[in-house]
Amino acid sequence: MSDSRALKPLFQGAAVVLALGLTTLVLLATKAPPLAAYVNIARGAVGTVSVALDVLVAWVPLLLVTSGLLVTFTVGLWNIGIEGQITFGAIFATWALRSFQGGAASGAIDPALAIALSVLAGMAGGALWAMLVGALKTFGGVNEIFGGLGLNYVATALNLWLIFGPWKRPGVASMSGTVPFDKALWLPTINEQSRFAPIAVVLALVAIAVVFALIQGTYFGLRLKAVGKNPKAAYLLGIPTWQYTMASFAICGILAGLAGAVQVTSVYHRLIPSISSGYGYMGLMVSMLVNFSAAVAAPVALFFAALNVGSIQLPITLKLDSSLAGVLQGTLVLFVILAEGARMRFMKKGGRKA
Amino acid sequence: MRKITKLILALLLVAVLGTTAFAQSAPPAAGANLTIGLVMVGPYNDHGWSQANYDGAQYVVAKVPGTKLVYIDKANSADRPGTTVSQLGESLVAQGAKLVIFSSDDMSDEAVKFAQAHKDVFVIMTSGDQTWKDGKAYKDLPNMICIMGRMEYMKMVAGVAAAMTTQTGKIGFLGPLINDETRRLASSAYLGAKYAWVNYLKKDPAKLSFKVTWIGFWFNIPGVTSDPTQVADDFFNSGYDVVISGIDTTEAVTEAAKYAAQGKKVFAIPYDYAKAIDEGKGVSLGVPYFNWGPAYVTTVKAAMAGTWKSHWEWNAPDWKNINNPDTGAVGFNKGTLTKDASASVDKFIAELAKGLNLWKGPLALQDGSAYLKAGEAATDKQVWYLPQLLQGMEGQSVSK
Amino acid sequence: MLIELRDICKTFGPVRANAGISLAVPPASVLGILGENGAGKSTLMKILSGFQPPDSGSIIIDGEAATIRSPADALARGIGMLHQDPLDFPPLRLIDDLILGSRGPLRPDRKKAAREFRELAVRFDFDLDHEAYVDSLTVGERQQLEILRLLWLGARALILDEPTTGISLPQKQKLFATIRLLADEGMTVLFVSHKLEDVESLCDRAVVLRQGALVGSSEPPFDTKRLVELMFGKEVPQTPRYKIPCGETVLAARGLCLESLRLQIKDLDLEVYAGEVVGLAGMEGSGQAIFLASCAGLERAVAGSVCLDETDMTSRSHHDFKREGVAYLPAARLEEGLVPGLSLEDHFILAEGKRGLFIDRREAEREAVSRIASYNIKGRPDSPVESLSGGNQQRALLALLRDKLSLILVEHPTRGLDIESTIYIWSKLKERCSQGTAIVFISSDLDEILQYSDRVLVFFAGRVSPPLSAEDLGVEELGRLIGGKGWERFEASATAETAEASHV
Ligand SMILES: Nc1ncnc2c1ncn2[C@@H]1O[C@H](COP(=O)(O)OP(=O)(O)OP(=O)(O)O)[C@@H](O)[C@H]1O
Ligand SMILES: [Mg+2]
Repeated sequence: MSDSRALKPLFQGAAVVLALGLTTLVLLATKAPPLAAYVNIARGAVGTVSVALDVLVAWVPLLLVTSGLLVTFTVGLWNIGIEGQITFGAIFATWALRSFQGGAASGAIDPALAIALSVLAGMAGGALWAMLVGALKTFGGVNEIFGGLGLNYVATALNLWLIFGPWKRPGVASMSGTVPFDKALWLPTINEQSRFAPIAVVLALVAIAVVFALIQGTYFGLRLKAVGKNPKAAYLLGIPTWQYTMASFAICGILAGLAGAVQVTSVYHRLIPSISSGYGYMGLMVSMLVNFSAAVAAPVALFFAALNVGSIQLPITLKLDSSLAGVLQGTLVLFVILAEGARMRFMKKGGRKA
Repeated sequence: MRKITKLILALLLVAVLGTTAFAQSAPPAAGANLTIGLVMVGPYNDHGWSQANYDGAQYVVAKVPGTKLVYIDKANSADRPGTTVSQLGESLVAQGAKLVIFSSDDMSDEAVKFAQAHKDVFVIMTSGDQTWKDGKAYKDLPNMICIMGRMEYMKMVAGVAAAMTTQTGKIGFLGPLINDETRRLASSAYLGAKYAWVNYLKKDPAKLSFKVTWIGFWFNIPGVTSDPTQVADDFFNSGYDVVISGIDTTEAVTEAAKYAAQGKKVFAIPYDYAKAIDEGKGVSLGVPYFNWGPAYVTTVKAAMAGTWKSHWEWNAPDWKNINNPDTGAVGFNKGTLTKDASASVDKFIAELAKGLNLWKGPLALQDGSAYLKAGEAATDKQVWYLPQLLQGMEGQSVSK
Repeated sequence: MLIELRDICKTFGPVRANAGISLAVPPASVLGILGENGAGKSTLMKILSGFQPPDSGSIIIDGEAATIRSPADALARGIGMLHQDPLDFPPLRLIDDLILGSRGPLRPDRKKAAREFRELAVRFDFDLDHEAYVDSLTVGERQQLEILRLLWLGARALILDEPTTGISLPQKQKLFATIRLLADEGMTVLFVSHKLEDVESLCDRAVVLRQGALVGSSEPPFDTKRLVELMFGKEVPQTPRYKIPCGETVLAARGLCLESLRLQIKDLDLEVYAGEVVGLAGMEGSGQAIFLASCAGLERAVAGSVCLDETDMTSRSHHDFKREGVAYLPAARLEEGLVPGLSLEDHFILAEGKRGLFIDRREAEREAVSRIASYNIKGRPDSPVESLSGGNQQRALLALLRDKLSLILVEHPTRGLDIESTIYIWSKLKERCSQGTAIVFISSDLDEILQYSDRVLVFFAGRVSPPLSAEDLGVEELGRLIGGKGWERFEASATAETAEASHV
């Protein structure tokens, strides 16, 4: 027992080193200076207060999405449809904000209330889209991966249609999205111009804390686990399995929708074509990296957000593509999973007192 | 809820953002050294709009001692998911930029946000009208200057070249997205074409067909916009033998070259970037292009000298020599033209230089409603905010 | 093949599963390995077959020290193991399952393999279709498949870990004949069991493990009493059969028609009374399992009705049955009954079905400790269920039963349990009967059927006998019925039979 605990960081450390090594090789292969690249990423992520706050801005949706995915992973589901759920949350939030815009301007509705209702609408939108995946799975027998992918496409298409159609700017359709909302309807940021909305960070932290508590300490969480590990036995133990599956989709959708709503109300202040920003897929990576446990999700998500924000410097200073961050993230996930596999084998073979 | 958070964070704010909280109303002179940041919507080497801006900025670095350039390209949410344009602007500031050029119409909201957030940074908004006192989008932004070139003239020239070349009497216009700017540019091309058709060729204006197809954005984004290659093909396959491009990239020329190689007599007119003409030797009739350098130089010098004053400029060509790289804001590079057509183009440019104004009544909008009364010359506002395409043009006026 | 084990040790945390075991098994012999639940039998076998490394000790094969690193390693040396709980069976065709395990060329010769498979099957008189799917097989048939697979792969030593627990009498007889045949041909066989009579009738020698140590060995003729003492460290008295007076009808099946891929059951009528035990006998796959499932709402009837306490429950869900006080315990413990990865404590919490938000872990642990104690489970509240020995998993399953139940439906209640536990479990079950709970159970152990049932239903290929009084039924007669003989008498006077049955 104690041996296996001691070994774990060793293997994970090795995984990180390997991932860095491979990324360095990629850099060398493209004749880029690796050290400078890493320094630039670091500086771009924590070099100034403003970029550090940007990391937090990226952290919020990522953490929200990861929290949601941890719930679906607990019941053994691969909720690839998360991207569409973020998008749908954004669409619903935009829809609500658009309908409150007039009222907020004329004072008929308190802007704070309008924002709160819009965020709730976003959560409802995400949940709706997620439960559609769930319904396809439980009632239509469609695997959640295929259903999710399909619904991602539908969500993207719908989003574009809205931006270029009913919600286009007066006389102009633009890739830059819908008309920005009144300032009164922005999620309050630490100052007028910042993108950093502390309340969003609070929401994300609450989300991960709730998910952690849910999975670790509640009857609900334990039942989710049982359904995830052995649905047949869970059913015989009296757990209504499909309801729990649906509930997990709903929770994940709520959090994804919240992420979408936060993007709309605090980052872009409008609906844009790629509103999900790939945070869904990144959340899947984070979930895999933390081995589906909520305890370490927050710091890992923060690290991923930092890589993303930091890598913006690469094209500016080194004329490198920002996708290097993606390479590093991908290899990291890969090697950590491989290392875990290797550790298991090692324990089995030579390990004393496994 | 808001109040509480604001209260809590007021302290944080003071502690964390103490420096940026003190904002000036006008940026101080930048002095002898200035790092210029350039944000481009497409790739910096797109042979189109973005590259024209890139070259403009490089021109500044070459002409103004003490300047340096940092840039970021592909600043759109599809290429850089999760980022905002103002954030990208800030990343340039982090590299020392004291003047940031946002070089696309699509960035206007974010540029305004950025200008408001960074009152100590000079901002050039290319193609915008936010600092035009009489314009519809005016905002009081002391640190921002909007710059645009009067491309309308060169689009008219392109129209002339097209009309003098077409055998079928069918001219296609490969449009980006629909907005004020693209409407007036497409219409300018049409005005030029019609003028040549009637006055030089003495043909019936009803026999001239001018069709606009919009792809939805400045360049191709697979799965999001219509494919410009496809649109160009459709034009060439349905009897349009000249396609005028209004987008940032060069698909029209590439496709024309492909069809020409198969023996079809078709031509294209690229856009934005002076050297785009090299792309399709033999099929490019010429290119109307932007020459951002001179205007950027003036503005950058103002920032350095402390004479910066927020304004909006819509710069005219240098009629003495429209292709002088050190003067005019827009130009036209002639390409493969028949002798006759070439002469007509020159003649037309000379007429423009002498004061010919095609934006003059009687002109009606596409739906038949009056635009300009007989003899009435359009004001800048009327041209800039053209509400529809003009009568006689086919294609969508307003996005559905 | 001569197999020698020297001083094998293996510990799991605080548990000493094998504490220095030394053993020699000569070729052409069958060695019986006896021991109570959790004695360390499976652990020792897994070490020999490469599934687990020992902490220390050595394995010597034909005089040569051998390090066995993996099951494939073991197989390469000719050692094949038949698991107590058949590991994963993917939905493959039999023939593919066979080929998958082979170290053959990239493109296996399917035709050749199929021919060899058929030859082997004929030799041992196994009725297996190589194009059928593995997941459609009964436990007994899976076992036959495994034996064929191991032989096909060239095993010269066979380890059978409690092979008789899930199979019917005829299947068992067939298995024993096969083992004898193989041993006579030179095969080294290790036969793990805690059924004395199996060991006595099959083995050339028997050793007994207790708490991880080898405590004795014996040769025929075996002294049953001594073996029991070795196994448990004491004598285990058989409890006499006792009868609990029956009460009201708790379950009534009327004109029940059931269909599965392989068989049809027509017009099954049965009333089960409070406090009664009904045993369902038959070869595995004769229809008893789907009948039991239909009484739990897990199988839909084609026609007919199922009533609980006179409430019509036909085509209601299992959870509705559960609410009415029906419990169902499946045979496949780790596949259907328990959740691998969760602890015993987690299971108790889940089974309790408590409402509320947060789990009171302290309370749950206290409850788990008490249940573990009262069901005599070798494990701790935080032991993952998959780490329990087979017998202990079964006890855990029984420990999950809620306190108040009107009907317990159970497949193979004592499968894999040693005698002591069997007696213990049945005393627990009978305790419930005295509180008015009725029990319907499936077993392939005829003695168990006759020992504990009040009435018996025999199933044969979808045909169902009328309820027979267990007291009047002899082992021989029951065996014949299970084998499909002597059914004429039910057809002759169907009405008389029902009358006879209902007086029980
Ligand atoms: N993987 C494991 N992790 C922890 N404990 C284990 C593990 N495998 C076995 N044990 C423990 O080791 C002891 C011996 O188990 P083993 O499976 O060898 O017993 P067994 O003799 O086969 O019993 P049964 O007759 O019930 O199958 C038990 O107490 C069991 O709980
Ligand atoms: Mg065992």
